[in-house]
Amino acid sequence: MTFSFIFYLIINTVAVLAIAPLFMSIIKKVKAWTQGRRGPSVFQTYFNLAKLLKKEVIYSSHSSWIMRVTPLVNIAAILVAALFVPLVFVPEPVGGIGNIILLLYLLALAKFFMALAGLDAGSSFGGMGSSREMSISAIIEPTTIIVFAALVFVFKTLNVFEMFITSAATGTPATPTLILLAISLFIILIVETSRIPVDNPETHLELTMIHEGMVLEQSGSNLALMELSSAVKLTLLMALIINLIVPFGLATSLTLGTIVVAAVMFALKGTILAGIIGLFESSMSKMRFFRLPSLFAMAFFFSTLIIIIEVFA
Amino acid sequence: MIDPAFIQDVIRVLFAVVIVTAAYIISTRNMISLVSVYALQSLTLVFMALALYSLEGTTVLLAIACITFASKVLVIPYFIATIQERIRIKRDIEFHFLSPTTSLLLSMALMLFIYIALAHIMEGTPGRESLFFFGAVIGISLMLMGMMVTFSRKRAITKVLGYLTMENGVLLFGMFVTELPFIIEFLIIIDLIILVMLTTILTVGLDSTLEDYHNRLHRFHLVEDTEEGP
Repeated sequence: MTFSFIFYLIINTVAVLAIAPLFMSIIKKVKAWTQGRRGPSVFQTYFNLAKLLKKEVIYSSHSSWIMRVTPLVNIAAILVAALFVPLVFVPEPVGGIGNIILLLYLLALAKFFMALAGLDAGSSFGGMGSSREMSISAIIEPTTIIVFAALVFVFKTLNVFEMFITSAATGTPATPTLILLAISLFIILIVETSRIPVDNPETHLELTMIHEGMVLEQSGSNLALMELSSAVKLTLLMALIINLIVPFGLATSLTLGTIVVAAVMFALKGTILAGIIGLFESSMSKMRFFRLPSLFAMAFFFSTLIIIIEVFA
Repeated sequence: MIDPAFIQDVIRVLFAVVIVTAAYIISTRNMISLVSVYALQSLTLVFMALALYSLEGTTVLLAIACITFASKVLVIPYFIATIQERIRIKRDIEFHFLSPTTSLLLSMALMLFIYIALAHIMEGTPGRESLFFFGAVIGISLMLMGMMVTFSRKRAITKVLGYLTMENGVLLFGMFVTELPFIIEFLIIIDLIILVMLTTILTVGLDSTLEDYHNRLHRFHLVEDTEEGP
């Protein structure tokens, strides 16, 4: 483990923690604008997290240790997963860090514990949320695997770091396979972060909520950790799209100048992508549960097409 | 002079756009966006013809671009959109045989099949490795995907859009593979047929008698009612 890798560990974690709530707020702001409202300040998510961290945690008398460890497991798994997706600086990969299959499993681990916690408190809404989340996961998981497999076929490596280095070196943003991949990854992002048309992150209406249903029983600092981990998950999936499709500015060598430029570029590109997500959400209504597979089929279609092209052409 | 390699890259990107629009046309239920996506697909073909023109310099391609732009980007979508507004159907949620998800999966298999088949047919010919091979594959796939739309949707207006997509596939195939002057005549005629078919199917229905015709015109608000309709 070299100095640059240790530096990477620190800078990536700091960057992802610092910027994740901002992207969350930008999406909310854009959605508010499209609805003709002023919307909350772009720093509102930071204030919310700070407030929640100071509050007392209350557990249901029916809950077990699952409820107590879930926020910690969740944030730990997501933060480690965030280390697999460099935001501003790509070092040489060390050990298993950056392995795309491990990345998938880390995300699945977080999701698994969240679903368990939804069931644990014994509230009916939590159970419903978990049940829905797991049904959706069962359908989206094969699609996610195919999309990531397409990534692996295109870049000929299992390591996210090497993918980023390749894409940063070529620097051409618009090859056709990457356009199709971007669409697939965007659908994965929408599904994995529980956004419209799959789930509505702003509602607590029992008929529709999925993600909110599972975290309904969380309170205080535990809730803050859950919210933070979902923001970090959003950021890491956004970083995956940004650094693969529009990699210009991404730092591959460790100098102060390149890293500052890369950080500014990432914040800019992330803001634009968050705006696109907000507009996408505003332009759609939530889909009926049984129509969701057609959305996933789209991602599946494009990524299988990429694999076909890569294998045969 | 523009770099040929750059133009080939542009054409590849346009291929991706064609595939995305075709997938959208197969799977969407929102008819208003269906028409605009069809127009976008036709516009992509226009750009593709222009790109090919700058690569090859055949004026016929320029003519194809102009005719496609006039008919398929402007006239036909405008026409369908107007009719759609009148008959007040916004969504198409009825399907024969295949759901959109299945059609998408099936079209994937179709593309693979066409790819392998064409690769066998063109084995050893100089066209095998080039862009033109891809053009042929996507052209035929688009044709078959359009056909799938035509037979899996129940509403006449979506069937017509499926037919138009099929025709786009023919155009794409024609641009990349066959002799051009023949294709261009073919296109004009087909476009005219489509225009006629649109008017007949959508406003009257091919099965109707002349007595029915008047009733249907009233029902679909195509003529202003002077008294209460039937």
